[in-house]
Amino acid sequence: MFVSGQAKKGVSGTPRGFACTAGVDRSLWSRLARLELMRSLLGILLLAGTLRAQLTPGQKQLNLDSFEKVWTTIRDQHWEKNPGGLDWQAIHEEFRPRIEKADSIDATRALLREMLDRLHQTHFAIIPSTVYSDVDVTLGDGSPGLDLRVIDGQAVVTRVDPGSPAEKAGVKLGWAVVSAGGKDLAPVIEKLKSDPSMHELMLERAVLARLSGPEGGKLHVVFLDAANRNVALDLDLGDPRGIPAKFGNLPPQYVWFEAKKIDGAQYVAFNMFLDLPRIMGNFGDAVNSCLKCDGLIIDLRGNPGGIGGMAMGMAGFLVDQAGRKLGTMYMRGATINFAVLPRPEVFKGPVAVLVDGSSASTSEIFAGGLKDLGRARIFGTKSAAAALPSIIDKLPNGDGFQYAMANYISDGGKPLEGNGVIPDQEVKLTRKALLAGHDPVVDAAIEWIQKQRGPK
Amino acid sequence: MIRNIAILAAIGAFTAMADDALPKAETILDHYIEVTGGKAVYEKRTSEISTGTIEFAAQGLKGTLTRYAAAPDKTYATMELDGVGKVESGSVNGVAWEKSAMMGPRVKSGDEKSQSLREAQFNGALNWRKIYPKAETAGVETVEGQECYKISLTPAEGKTETAYFSKKTGLEVKRSTVAASPMGEVPVDAVVSEYKDFGGILQPTKLIQRVAGQELVITIQSVKFNEQIPADKFDPPAEIKALMNKAAQ
Repeated sequence: MFVSGQAKKGVSGTPRGFACTAGVDRSLWSRLARLELMRSLLGILLLAGTLRAQLTPGQKQLNLDSFEKVWTTIRDQHWEKNPGGLDWQAIHEEFRPRIEKADSIDATRALLREMLDRLHQTHFAIIPSTVYSDVDVTLGDGSPGLDLRVIDGQAVVTRVDPGSPAEKAGVKLGWAVVSAGGKDLAPVIEKLKSDPSMHELMLERAVLARLSGPEGGKLHVVFLDAANRNVALDLDLGDPRGIPAKFGNLPPQYVWFEAKKIDGAQYVAFNMFLDLPRIMGNFGDAVNSCLKCDGLIIDLRGNPGGIGGMAMGMAGFLVDQAGRKLGTMYMRGATINFAVLPRPEVFKGPVAVLVDGSSASTSEIFAGGLKDLGRARIFGTKSAAAALPSIIDKLPNGDGFQYAMANYISDGGKPLEGNGVIPDQEVKLTRKALLAGHDPVVDAAIEWIQKQRGPK
Repeated sequence: MIRNIAILAAIGAFTAMADDALPKAETILDHYIEVTGGKAVYEKRTSEISTGTIEFAAQGLKGTLTRYAAAPDKTYATMELDGVGKVESGSVNGVAWEKSAMMGPRVKSGDEKSQSLREAQFNGALNWRKIYPKAETAGVETVEGQECYKISLTPAEGKTETAYFSKKTGLEVKRSTVAASPMGEVPVDAVVSEYKDFGGILQPTKLIQRVAGQELVITIQSVKFNEQIPADKFDPPAEIKALMNKAAQ
């Protein structure tokens, strides 16, 4: 489940982030979507408890074909001729015999993931075919309607969706989750945090995944309230927040958008750069309806990314100079500018963008680009540093294969991959502030906007 | 029937000639006009409405396309792509524009504009001399399994294009261009195939475009000529007109 949005079912089985680069053509390039996907959690969450079934000769061949497709795709599509600085042919010679010996689909996936891990780059993942099967059922995964962040080792409630089962049950901001479904979260958090390769984004999703289940079901959750007393609730699991959206090979995702006025500023938040027609329309409406507002706050905390082109399109509402760009994408055989095309009406006031360790991919392209252009001040904590543009393809064995096909350099000259977006003003969430009904990151942005405005 | 026989005869003569020496580019380009239907048939066409599909198979993205065109240089096209929405584009009276949910309305400029206006020339195959002041035969290459003449086409404005015409059939097989856009210059290879007869003109119905390892397939499903197209079909949307007015101020 997504940290700040909710993905559908398969919480643990749904690729988080995404985006594919849709192909291109001279005039179509600018129209089509480039998506960025961040690394899927699937491998971590699904690998451990799946059944091992003997493969038929036909299935073995499909797995071999899948290996060849993965290996060949990286050989031909990776932006570096020696992907990850590796001797890619030697990788083939090492892994092919091992794949031939793999006696289950899980063993095959594990080997493919091991091969991809050698790249030490995000956005390379194997997505189990089960994620794609029975799409309608996948759209039914249940959520209590809340969001979490890991703060000081605790899973703390940072959002309670309006009208959700969690709100109806009385769950409050700042409450900490002690256990879900009878399982304590502290050991889970401790174990995940001990893995140095674990992104904050992945950690939080892994934790949030524990708070999901079959739609229509119930989940027993024990919270710590403001007085640090245990509160045990049986939460209904309902539809995730938002509207389901489909984009190419990406499993369906629930996408939501929110806009509201806070102290003279327009605040907007959305959980993914997806459902392009609706979200772009909502964003445009929110900006255009507030051209004279004191400022604009764009909250990308927990937003894992999506269609890369949407970052360009949204920046066009905020930048009034032609010829500017958010950054540059380097592919094998092409270099693409993430150009900003000013809209007929542009918001010219102060812009604050909020990010955290769960802001990835397109969120980083957008925030990092606006920061480099001097058009926005960034608040929060360092972003996920996972910003490689990628696409998701299908493998012969039915699994999905996410691969990065480009490197991305922000307008300031630094790759976002591995570096992330560093806030101009670091502000951390605290449980104490949340319990008091405050979001310190939003508060800091409002304070800055009011200073820009000056006394009324 | 008579037309088909004429085409076969033309192909035979062309192939025999080509075996001896490289033909001039104008011979190859004029031959294309003949094998696809002939000058007289082209000249009878004044408008065209085509429909088709678009697919990024590897990414699972699909959509539909409709394009209106009228002499001498008017176009209006609309594309609906799942998950992306509607993209409109057009050219009229020397203005090339685009409007999409992602990027909003914009008026094209520079090489992108000249490229769009060039593509908007009605009966482009027939009017190649007007579109490409310079055309040269650059050699013979095997493309998509076919031995082809390689032609360099240089427009009045913009980058030189390379077109490949089958030695055997005279039909165009591939065109390599550098697409200009605000996002930069991107090399594009477009392979065309599955020619079908629409109103006496052979037109490719399958277009595979390859860019930086990605592949897009456009399939043309119908082409109608000389249909009545409402006069305002080619009018730019209000947002485009507003941008034009703003730029004029």
